[in-house]
Amino acid sequence: MKIAAVESWVEQPLQSFVDDARVRIALLLHPSGQVVAQAGFTRRMDVMTACALAAASHATSRELGRYVDGKPFRGLHYAGPDKQLFLGTIDTRAGGFICLTVFDDESSLGLVRMYFEDFSRDLAAAAPAATETGTPVLAVDFEADLNKNLAMLFGRGGDVIIRNA
Amino acid sequence: MSTPFATVLETLTRQRGVRASLVVSERDGVIVEASVRFGQDGDRIAALAASMYRKARLSARAARLGAVSFLQLDAERGRICAAGGGGDLVIVVVADPQANVGLIRMELLKALEGLPS
Repeated sequence: MKIAAVESWVEQPLQSFVDDARVRIALLLHPSGQVVAQAGFTRRMDVMTACALAAASHATSRELGRYVDGKPFRGLHYAGPDKQLFLGTIDTRAGGFICLTVFDDESSLGLVRMYFEDFSRDLAAAAPAATETGTPVLAVDFEADLNKNLAMLFGRGGDVIIRNA
Repeated sequence: MSTPFATVLETLTRQRGVRASLVVSERDGVIVEASVRFGQDGDRIAALAASMYRKARLSARAARLGAVSFLQLDAERGRICAAGGGGDLVIVVVADPQANVGLIRMELLKALEGLPS
């Protein structure tokens, strides 16, 4: 599966994760909801929606974790009848990231969690210092930055750019 | 908290050369109960062994060979044995290369009787 990334340093770790864990969809984003890289999506609208929902879900589960356990939850798993979802957080020098993953019977929760640990480690090792990854996200710039990132992932002309290999 | 599998796993882990024994969910690849020696990564073993067992089971079915009764992987620094009942649970044993596989196989198949089908 092909990776489309806004920041090049995330490409190799994410490619390894997607290949090893055999996931159907992987989406790496800032906690603000800005997309950083994706694999498996074919439409920019789907990426926008998934980013917004993943960021909201992450914020909710983090606060729920603080409320229940005194510290934020770091992983969320949902098992549907055919597809499953795993949402995890990754801390790096370049800041925190959220990774949304969708998988089916080709993989398993155990495999996804195992390779997610490797991915987290590889991403943290590849991350440049925060100052090299651009300015922090400001609310006033959010929409412009989001559109810029989506344009980098999908191009400006059409929606369908990335296809499964 | 002790589960119904604790006694089964204790028996397996007592065998000479056995490093870890686990009951894992084949579908999810996660540990249900484990008896793991220090230094063994139970989560990693569970994920990989469940995936391997699932693929073997599907391959055997595709080849019209029927159900998988026992699976053994021999590697340079150890071996993995796995057996599953009719349900989602699989018993996995990780052992040294020189461990007595015959004995492990016998205990593993005996332990299977304790699993829900």
